[in-house]
Amino acid sequence: MKEPSVVTITVDNKEVQVPGDTNLIEALKAVGLETPHLCYHPDLPVSGNCRQCMVEVDGPRGMVLTIGCYTPVRPGMKVATSASSPKVAEARKAVLEFLLVNHPLDCPICDKAGECLLQENYMMAGASDSRLSPEIGKQYHGNPEHSSSDSKGQHRGGKRVDIGPRIVLDEERCIQCSRCVRFMRHVAGDEQLQLASRGGHSHITTFPGEKLDHPYDRCVTDICPVGALTDKSFRFRKRVWALSRIPTVSMDDSLGANIWVDYADGIIYRIMPRCNPEVNKSWLSNAARDVVQNIHENRLLNNDLSAALQIIKETKGKIAIVLGGSCTAEDIAAFKKFNIAEFFGGSFLPVQKADGIARSGDPVANRACLEKAGINTNLGELSKRAGEFELLITVAADLWDETPEEAGDLNKIPKRIALTSFNNNTAKNSAIAIGIRHWLENFGTMINSKGLEQKLQGTPTKEAALVDSAAIIAGRLHG
Amino acid sequence: MKWSFVPRGSKPVYITVNADEGEPGTFKDHFLMREDPHRLIEGLIIAGWALGARNAYIYVRGEFLPAIEALTEAIREAYKAKLLGKNIGGTKYSLDIAVHRGAGAYVCGEETALINSLEGQKGQPRLKPPFPAVNGVWNMPTCVNNVETIMALPWILENGPEEYQKLGTPKAGGTKVFCVSGDVKKRGVYEARLGIPLMELLESEEYCGGIVGNLKGCIPGGSSTQVLTAEECKKANMDYESLASMGTMFGSGAIMPFNDTHSVVEMLNTLGKFYSHESCGQCTPCREGTGYVQRIISCIANGKGKDGDIELLDSLCTGFTGTTVCPLAAALGAPVQSYIQKFRSEFEDAILKNPEHATPRLSENYRPQGWWE
Repeated sequence: MKEPSVVTITVDNKEVQVPGDTNLIEALKAVGLETPHLCYHPDLPVSGNCRQCMVEVDGPRGMVLTIGCYTPVRPGMKVATSASSPKVAEARKAVLEFLLVNHPLDCPICDKAGECLLQENYMMAGASDSRLSPEIGKQYHGNPEHSSSDSKGQHRGGKRVDIGPRIVLDEERCIQCSRCVRFMRHVAGDEQLQLASRGGHSHITTFPGEKLDHPYDRCVTDICPVGALTDKSFRFRKRVWALSRIPTVSMDDSLGANIWVDYADGIIYRIMPRCNPEVNKSWLSNAARDVVQNIHENRLLNNDLSAALQIIKETKGKIAIVLGGSCTAEDIAAFKKFNIAEFFGGSFLPVQKADGIARSGDPVANRACLEKAGINTNLGELSKRAGEFELLITVAADLWDETPEEAGDLNKIPKRIALTSFNNNTAKNSAIAIGIRHWLENFGTMINSKGLEQKLQGTPTKEAALVDSAAIIAGRLHG
Repeated sequence: MKWSFVPRGSKPVYITVNADEGEPGTFKDHFLMREDPHRLIEGLIIAGWALGARNAYIYVRGEFLPAIEALTEAIREAYKAKLLGKNIGGTKYSLDIAVHRGAGAYVCGEETALINSLEGQKGQPRLKPPFPAVNGVWNMPTCVNNVETIMALPWILENGPEEYQKLGTPKAGGTKVFCVSGDVKKRGVYEARLGIPLMELLESEEYCGGIVGNLKGCIPGGSSTQVLTAEECKKANMDYESLASMGTMFGSGAIMPFNDTHSVVEMLNTLGKFYSHESCGQCTPCREGTGYVQRIISCIANGKGKDGDIELLDSLCTGFTGTTVCPLAAALGAPVQSYIQKFRSEFEDAILKNPEHATPRLSENYRPQGWWE
C-alpha cells in the first residue's frame, strides 16, 4: 500500500491536515467533521444526486456551493461547512425539506428507524418544523402499479412490493439515491434494479416480470439509507436500537468477511457487514448471513464428557481427529496436544472460485491456520485409510451433513465422537455427540485467504452459556 | 470560446448539434431546420473541419417531424453531391452526420443529458466536471452547439467576422434569431441585430407589428427567464448585458409579451406543471421540489391559497439555487421568484379569494393522523 498523501486545507477558517487523495466527505470525516449524505457510499461510484452533502468551496467566482462527495481535495482549498456558512446550512436544510416532501415518515413502523441516514441528517441538518400539509405535500407518484390514494386524498406508493425472494420494497420511502442500482450494476455486476420513469414519478423497479435475485442482494438492504429496501428475514423482528453489536469475523468462508453480529437477549437477529477495505469492503454474501437463520434451532447442548473420556481411555488403536474449517487457531492448538492422534482438517466440500466481492470460495475458513499447524487438509486420504483407525473425533466438522456420500467411507471407523454445535446427522451418526459453541459464539484467531490475521469475538447467546468452546473441551478431554 | 476547450489531436472529437428545443415559447431551431437544413449541414462541415471531427450528430427533438424529414432529405442530398462522407468535395476531410431523434424530454436540451440520451442512456445530466469539451459523447471530447450557432458559421466565413461583429453591440456581435409568441400582431421567427430595443422588436412594422391589448409584461428569453414588467420592457435592449442588468437573462431568444387579460398566477401554474413534469428525477431538489412548488401554485390558482404561501414559494425557490446538478429547478425558481416579486398583488388577490386564507394549513397542534390514534 502506498503512503497516503496529506495536504493542508482550510475548513471553516481553520487549517487542517487531511488525506489528499480523496473527496471532501472523507477528508472532513478524517478531521472529525461529519457531512450529512445519503447517496454517497465509500465503496460505490459517486452519483451525486441526493445533494445533501453541500459545502462551500472557493473557486474562480468566489465561494460556491458544491457537493462534498464529488469535490476532490486539492491542496490549499478553502472549505466552508454549515458550521461557518449560513448558506451551506440553508442549502442542506432546503435539500432535506425536499427529501421529506414525499417521504411517508412512518418511522414508528419502519425497520430502518434508528439506523436511517435520513433520520440522522434530519437531526444534523434540518430539525425544523414541517411546512407541509395534505393538499400541497405528500403526493407520491411512483410506480403506478402500486399507487393508491389514502383517506386524505394523498397519493401513496406501494408499501410492500415483493421485488425478490429476500427483499421487500417500500416505494414511498424510497428517496431515489440510486445506491442499490449502483450496487447491482458496479459491485454485483448484474443490473437487476433500475430507476424507472422520470421526475416525481421515478421509482426503483426490476425488469418486467423479473425478480431481484442475486447471491449478494441482501447488501442492498444494508446500503439503503432509508427503509425502502428491507430484508424479509429481519422485517418487524426487532427495533435496531434494542440490538447490541459484536464485531467479529465470518467463518463461513476463508475470506473471513468482517461482520457485525446484532443480538439481543441471547438471540442473534442478523449479521451485517463490517467495513474492512482490505477484506470484504462493505459487502457480505447472502450465504454468510444465512448462518444465523437456524442458529438457535436444533442445538446440541450435551456437555457431559464422561462417556467420551471412557471411550478415549479404552481405545488402543489409532485415533483420527478431524478439525473443521471453522476451528480457530486456539481450538487447533488445544487439540494438537492429543499427540497420540493423527490430525486431518477441512471438509469434503469442493473449493470454488472467488467471486471477487466477499467470498473466496473456500469453505474451509481457517485453512491457513490448519496448514500452519501442519495438519493434513486432504480428507480424501482419511477416507482411504479409514480402516486403520479405531476412533474418529470430529470437531466442528459436520461431514455427514455437508457431504454424506464422501463421509460414508468414514463409517468404517468403529468408534466415533462428534463435537458439533447442532443435533444434526453427524451427531446422530456418532456414538457420542458433545455440544460446542458455534463459531459465532467463539473467541479466537483466524488467518484468512489473504494471510490477514483476524480476531473473532463471541456473541453471548443463550446456547453459548450452556456449552463450551471446542478448545475448552479439548483441554478437558486431555485431562 | 467553447471550441477552445476541446483538446486536439489525441482523441477523436465529436461535434453535436443541440436541436432539442424544448423551452416553452422557443421554436426558432425547428423553423430554421425545416426551412434551411442545408445551411446547418454547411455549418456543421465548417465546424467539423475546424475541430477535426470525423463524426457529427444532430440531436433533434423527437416531435419535430417536419424538421427531421427536411434534415434527413438534405443530408441524403449532400451525400449524393459528395459534400458529406469520405473526402468531401475532393479534399482529404471526411465527415459523417447522423440525425438522432430524442424522445421529447426538456432536460435533454442540457448538453450532458443530451449526450447521455445520445449514447442510449437515460436522459439525465451528468456531474460536471468533466465538461463535454473534455469528456463527452462516448467519453471523447465533444463540442455541443446550438443550431443557430452552427448556422451562423457559413455567413461569417463568407463575409468575415468583422462584418458580423458590426451587426451587434460592441460586446456581443452579430445577429440573433428571436421567436416571438404571445400577444403581438405578427408572431413568428425574426432575425435581428443583437441589442435591438425590445419595444422596437415588438412594435415596429418590420418585426411584430405591435401589441394586442395593453402590455402587462414580457418574458424576454424563454419561460425560464425572469419576467419583465411593462415599464422594464420599454428600457430593455435585447442583448446579454442589458438584460442581465435588469436581473433577467437573454435565454433562448423566445420573447413572450402578454397583455392584461392574462392572469400571472395562471401563467405560473402552467409553467409549474411543465417543469414538474419535465424534471428528470435525478437529484432531490428538482425531483421533489418542482412538484411541491407546483402544488402550492396550483392551490393559489384554484382559490385554496393561504397566507404565507408566497413566502413559502419564495423560500423553496431559494433552495433550488446552487443545489442541483443542472439548472432545471432554477429554471422554475427564477420565474416563480420574479413573478412573485413583480406581480405580487395578483398572487395576494388570488389568495384572498379563499375565504379561509387566514387559517394556517397546519395548526399548532397538528399531528398526522395515523394508526396509533
